[in-house]
Amino acid sequence: MRPFRMPPQILRLVLLTIGIVTSYLIARYFLTPPSFGQYGFFRGDALEEIASRQPVFAGRQSCDKNCHAKAVETIANGDHKTVSCESCHGNCREHVEDRQVKVITRVSCTRCHEADPARSTFIKQIESKKHYSGQRCTECHVPHQPSEVP
Amino acid sequence: MNPALTNAIVEALPHVDGYVYPNEQNLLWSTLIVVYPYVTGLVAGAFIMASLVRVFRVQALEPVYRLSLLTSFSFLLAAPLPLLFHLGHPERCLQIMMTPHVSSPMAMFGFVYAWYMMAVLLLELWFDYRHDFVIWAEKERGLKGVIYRLFTLGVHDLSEPALRLDERMGKIISIIGIPSAFLLHGYVGFIFGSIKANPWWGNVLMPIIFIFSAIVSGISLCVVVSLVVNWARRRAQDIRCLDMMGRFLFYALVADASLETLDWVHRLYAADESIYVLKSLASGKLFYTLLIGQACLGTLVPFLVLGFLQLFRRHVAPLMRQHLYALSAVLIMLGVLAMRWNVVIGGQLFSKSLRGFTTYKMELAGHEGWLMSLALLVLPFVILGFLMRFFLPVHRPDSIGQGAAVKVVA
Amino acid sequence: MNKPTSRRHVLTSLGSALAGLLSCSVARTAKAAVQNALASTPAPNRYHATEHRWLMAIDIDRCIGCGLCAEACKTENQVPAGAYFRTWIERYIIKKPEPGSAQTRGETVVDSPNGGMNGFPPSPVPREQILKAFYVPKLCNLCEHSPCSQACPVGATFDSPDGAVLVDPHYCIGCGFCIQACPYGCRFFNPLTKTADKCSLCYHRITRGLRPACVEVCPTEARIFGDLKNPVENDPLQQFVMKNKVQTLKPHLGTEPRVLYAGMDKEVR
Repeated sequence: MRPFRMPPQILRLVLLTIGIVTSYLIARYFLTPPSFGQYGFFRGDALEEIASRQPVFAGRQSCDKNCHAKAVETIANGDHKTVSCESCHGNCREHVEDRQVKVITRVSCTRCHEADPARSTFIKQIESKKHYSGQRCTECHVPHQPSEVP
Repeated sequence: MNPALTNAIVEALPHVDGYVYPNEQNLLWSTLIVVYPYVTGLVAGAFIMASLVRVFRVQALEPVYRLSLLTSFSFLLAAPLPLLFHLGHPERCLQIMMTPHVSSPMAMFGFVYAWYMMAVLLLELWFDYRHDFVIWAEKERGLKGVIYRLFTLGVHDLSEPALRLDERMGKIISIIGIPSAFLLHGYVGFIFGSIKANPWWGNVLMPIIFIFSAIVSGISLCVVVSLVVNWARRRAQDIRCLDMMGRFLFYALVADASLETLDWVHRLYAADESIYVLKSLASGKLFYTLLIGQACLGTLVPFLVLGFLQLFRRHVAPLMRQHLYALSAVLIMLGVLAMRWNVVIGGQLFSKSLRGFTTYKMELAGHEGWLMSLALLVLPFVILGFLMRFFLPVHRPDSIGQGAAVKVVA
Repeated sequence: MNKPTSRRHVLTSLGSALAGLLSCSVARTAKAAVQNALASTPAPNRYHATEHRWLMAIDIDRCIGCGLCAEACKTENQVPAGAYFRTWIERYIIKKPEPGSAQTRGETVVDSPNGGMNGFPPSPVPREQILKAFYVPKLCNLCEHSPCSQACPVGATFDSPDGAVLVDPHYCIGCGFCIQACPYGCRFFNPLTKTADKCSLCYHRITRGLRPACVEVCPTEARIFGDLKNPVENDPLQQFVMKNKVQTLKPHLGTEPRVLYAGMDKEVR
């Protein structure tokens, strides 16, 4: 029986294939980010990177700390107890960091209280055109104590 | 700013009909993603054409064997470009090979593509051309000579056993190549077919339909290319070869049309939740591209023409047959491009809430514009022209390599 | 043509080249491992993801469509202006049936002008024709078997151990496959970062003990947020779960969305 001799074409191709596969594996070693696969099929560092972004809104608890305790208590006892300070006053972070920065109330009462067929009736609604004419809501209502109607 | 005014302006801007999710107002996948399945389909289809010669020994198609392989190769080279241009971060494209997510069809496609390019197409080309490479390497000087010598991989054995081995390897690779070509384009179909979120895309028939429309477009491409090449080289058209290509084109078209019809019949019959929005889509936004373009001009007319030619071939003069094949091939190619448009763009025109439609605002210039798509459709032909200078020089016959002399005809 | 090189010679030189390259990569991996071990984790307050399981639930009956949540989200997460929303509100208006049509309901009109972030304009349907109307806030559904992370080709979007589905903007290649795969339309392509983007459950807030911005500004407690692994006293999420019959969106797709909706109507998709 003739001893098996690999034909030269096949040998060259096999070597070439081994070369290509090896280069791929080596490239993969070098080019995969180090934290990849730490917690799952993703870059482990990503969790920390995403978590370390700076929050913008200050959060309700920031208003409590010895600054606006009275207002907070008033609101907590009224119909607006579910409304957070920043819902009406907007982002207060700058004010929390530097008390001199003023906070403006950007949201109008009608944003929530305008009559709308899609709004459930647990919230009091008015038709602004009929309810008042040209007055500001605060002339009659106290936002922090909405149940008080002077 | 006055909220009412803001709302009014925002409402007026995008052309939304009904309700779409706010994030769906602008289309994400552009004409580049229409070009990509089209090009990979042509790759697979042209290869299937070539394999008809190698594996099924259809003698009449021998003249276009090498041309089909080269066509397949040039389109394969151009295939990743639309994807690369579409990526938000093309510089990170290697990540898809470095950390491929095995559950993602898109990631696995990188390997399917690499397998098809290296283990199928390049190998088959190499085994077919090896004999010529050795001869050309010795004859040519300068850059061409260097290139040919490189391609011989240092092997200069032209003995009978070596050439017989080439022939056998070519056949084996063709046999492996047929399922690989199916996998290549079936996978692209699966990329759409796997999206259960989209009722236009996510169904079982999608990969199969993609494969068959790929075969149809690939054979048409070979018809067109061989007509153009012979005309450019002032050679007579090989009517016997054209007739055979026309016959296979007809068979493939029948299969493709049946599958697409089946898809629609099943959708209309089962009539699930999405049928209303999809019917509106097909008869409204996609009226011209689907009903006129893909169905009538792209399928029905070529079906009638090719069917007529199958039955009455003998009664039609060769020159007229040539024109009819050319017409059918061009119509089919346009029809399959329309099909890709209907799938990719159509799938994004309606909302996943099944309640409305948006509009595709197609850019003209820019890396996602239709000029770019046009350029990427033309590029493979340019590559093919370039390849032909090296691999299908005018003075050489187009037949199956010099090894044809030792090929065992049995 | 070439001098015949012995097979042994070729294999030896190849083998040594291989060994050289491999040892370089081993050294590099070792260096990275050492660095990882020695470096302190920069997680805020030494937060451990496996100790938490966050969830948001929606009480549709309490949503008044003020849009403060959508507006706050855009501010908090620097979402670009335009048709890009991490969260939005939809308004459903179900008309009364045509008289004599023997139907229970008429047509449903859905809208979400600018995601609802400036509030909603007056109803397009006159009040007399309305059978039912309500608002539905939408966000990432925090799927158990998220189709988006399944589809991502490079592992740039993933399910974090603590229940959020996040996008790694430094790794995302911007292919958009995840955006197509999400059945709920909650993902978008960020034109500034050129990556996929979506609700991150305000991950940077919840890991510091803050609430997501949308929950923070919601005036009616329509969005209920909590930690399933660490319920607090009178935990709103636990109360929600005990009190309400709930639905999820598109359950037939098998994505197992975890966000629960109380008071959801059949028209909501």
